Amino acid sequence: MRETFLAGFLRLKMPGVIVGALLGCAPHPGALAAGLTQQQATASQAQDPARTADKAGTKMVTDETGRRVAVPVNVQRVVSLAPNLTETVYALGLEDKLAGDTTYCDTPAAAKNKPHVGAPVNPSLEAIVALHPDLVLATAINRWETVESLERLGIAVYTMDPHTVQDMLESTALLGDLMGAHEQAASLVAKLQTTLEELQTSLRERPLVHVLFVVWEDPLITIGQNTFIADALRWAGAESVIISKQDWPQISMEEVLRLEPEYIVLTSNHSETDTADQVRDLRARAVWNEIEAVKLGRIVVIAEEITRPSPGLVQAIVELAHGLHPEIFGPAQKSSGPEKQSRKSMAVGLVACAR
Amino acid sequence: MTLARIVWICAALAAILFVEGVVSLQIGAYHMSARDIVVTLFQGAAGRWDEMPGDFKSVIFGLRLPRIALGILVGAALSTAGAGFQALLRNPLADPYVLGVSSGAALGTILSMILTPHTAGAMQAAAFVGAFATVAVVYFLGRRGGQLDSATLLLAGIVAASFLSAVIMFLMTTVSGRDLRGMAFWLMGDLQSDPRVDLRWLYFLLIVGIGCIFTTSSDLNLILTGEQEARHLGVNVNRVKLVVYISASLLTGLAVSVSGAIGYVGLLVPHVMRMLFGTDYRLLIPTSAIGGAIAIVLADTLARTVVAPSELPVGAMTAIAGAPVFIYLMRRRMR
Repeated sequence: MRETFLAGFLRLKMPGVIVGALLGCAPHPGALAAGLTQQQATASQAQDPARTADKAGTKMVTDETGRRVAVPVNVQRVVSLAPNLTETVYALGLEDKLAGDTTYCDTPAAAKNKPHVGAPVNPSLEAIVALHPDLVLATAINRWETVESLERLGIAVYTMDPHTVQDMLESTALLGDLMGAHEQAASLVAKLQTTLEELQTSLRERPLVHVLFVVWEDPLITIGQNTFIADALRWAGAESVIISKQDWPQISMEEVLRLEPEYIVLTSNHSETDTADQVRDLRARAVWNEIEAVKLGRIVVIAEEITRPSPGLVQAIVELAHGLHPEIFGPAQKSSGPEKQSRKSMAVGLVACAR
Repeated sequence: MTLARIVWICAALAAILFVEGVVSLQIGAYHMSARDIVVTLFQGAAGRWDEMPGDFKSVIFGLRLPRIALGILVGAALSTAGAGFQALLRNPLADPYVLGVSSGAALGTILSMILTPHTAGAMQAAAFVGAFATVAVVYFLGRRGGQLDSATLLLAGIVAASFLSAVIMFLMTTVSGRDLRGMAFWLMGDLQSDPRVDLRWLYFLLIVGIGCIFTTSSDLNLILTGEQEARHLGVNVNRVKLVVYISASLLTGLAVSVSGAIGYVGLLVPHVMRMLFGTDYRLLIPTSAIGGAIAIVLADTLARTVVAPSELPVGAMTAIAGAPVFIYLMRRRMR
C-alpha cells in the first residue's frame, strides 16, 4: 500500500516534473490514465496504522470521536495539541513523557518550557514529526484536517472529546491507561470524584442560580447547553440563562437585560490587576451597568480552568460554587454594599488566580 | 510574437519555479540538510522506501512535496482565471473574487462540508457547481439588451460576491464546534490540508482549463481592442466569452475547493506579467499560469516559516505581500 501511495504520488504531473528533473528521469506518461484510485488509496491508507501495529507492540483502541487508532502499548513520547490535555498529562505526573505541546499550553507554568509545535488550530506537522511522538493527543479544538494529515503520516492520534464533567474524568482515566499510568489516574479520578460528590451534598436542595456565563464580552458570546461548561455550571449549582443548541452562541445585550441573570460569570486571565480591571470595566460600561446583577456587584471572576476540560476543572467548579453560593460557603454578604460585594467576588477570582 | 519567444520565456519562468521548488523543499520546521534532501529524493525515485529514515519520508513525500504541488496547482489556476476575466471585461479589476466566482465555489464547498463531510471529491464537485452556478447567474444578470455588458457584468459580480459571502456567514454561524474552526481556517486560504482527492485529477482539470483559455488567446487579443472591432474581424465574441467564463470558473472552483480563498493572486500576477512581457494573451496566459505558481509557492514557503512553528494561512501571506506590491505597481504605471 505504502508503495502505491508514494509511487502514485511520484506519477503526479508537477511533483513528477520536480523529482524527475532532479533525478534525470521523465515523469510517468500514464499519470492521468492511472488516476481514479483515490478510493482504494484512502482505504488502504486507513489501514496504515494497523500495519505499524503488527511490527511494534500496539493495541487498537477507538478514540472519543470514533476513530480506530493503533496506540503503542508502551507510550514514551507524547505530543499534546491542546492546553487541557497538557494540563491533564501534568496532573497525572506524566510530564516526562510529554515531548511537546502547543504555544497555548500555559498551565502549569512548566508546560511553557516544553518544545512547542505551534497553536492548536494550525500546528506545524513538520515540528510534530521532528519530535518523534509515539502518540499525539488531540481534542475537538484541533481541526479534522490536522488529525487526518498526521494519521496519513503514520502517527497515532488519539482524540479526546469530553462533553461533560463526568466525561472529563473518564477521559483522564483513559489517558492514564494509554500512557501506562493506570494507578495514578485511578487515584486522581477518585479524588476528584469525591470532591464533586461533597460539593453535590452541600448544594443539595439549593435552587440553581441563574447566571450569564461570558465567554467573550464584545461581541457577547456565551455557552450553549451542550458544552461541558454548561455541565460544570450545574455541578456548581448554577444554570445558564441562555438556552442554545449552538456551542458558543453570540447573543444580544437586550436578551441579557430581558433574562435578568442573578450572577455574571467572567473568566480571568491569570493576572490579578486584570481581574480587578475586568470587574471595574464591566460596571462602568453602558448597558452592562443596567443589568441588575452588575448593579448589585454580583460578578464572579473564575479561573480560566473552567473553560478547560482537565482535572483543574473540578477545583474551578468548587471555586465557582463558593462564589455563587455565599450563603452556604462564605460569610453573609447582605450587610455589605454593592462595592464590597464586588470586592468579595473579585477575591474569588483572585483566589482562583493565585492557585 | 513568435512561438520561440513564448517557449523561451516560459522555460525561463519554469526554471525559476523549479529552483524555488527545490529551495522550498529545504525550508521548514523540520531541519534537513540539502544532502539529506537530495539523497531522500533519489531513494524515493528509485523506490527504495525502506532505506530512508521514516521522518525524511514523512517530511519530504508526505508534507513538503504535496504542498508544493498543491501550491503550483492553485497559483496557476487562480492566475489564469484572473487573466481570462481581465481580458473579457477589459477591466484591470476583474478577478475571480470580484466576479463572485470564488464566493460561489466557497459556498459550494462549505455546503458539501456540512452535508457530506469526509467524502472524497464532494468538495471539488460542489465547488465546481457553485462556481458554474455563480457564473451562469452573473452572466445572465450581466446581459443588457441581449448583449453582455462589461460594466453591468462587473456590478452583478460584486453583488453576487457580497450576497454569497453573507450566505457563507449565515451558514458559519449555524454550524458550531469543530467544523466551524476548520471552515474559518479554510476560508482564509490553507494549503496544509489534504485535498482528499487524487492530485492527478486536479492537475488534469487544471491543464484542460488553461488549455481552453489558451486556445482563445488570439481572439482575446482582438477583443481587447474592442468587441465591435473583433466582431468585424470575424471573431465569435460570445463563443469566446462562454469558453473563457466556463474555463475560468472551472479553474477557480478547482483552486477554491482545495485551498479556500486565496486572494490577490488572480489580480496581481497577470498584471505583473503584463508589465514584464506586454499584453499579448498568447504569452500572457502561459506566463500567468507559471507566475501564479511561483507566487503561491513563495507565499506558502513564507507562510510556514515566518511564524514557525505555527503556520499562517497562505491567503494572509498573499494579501500581506500582494497588496503593497500591487499599489506600488499601479502608482508607477500612472506616473
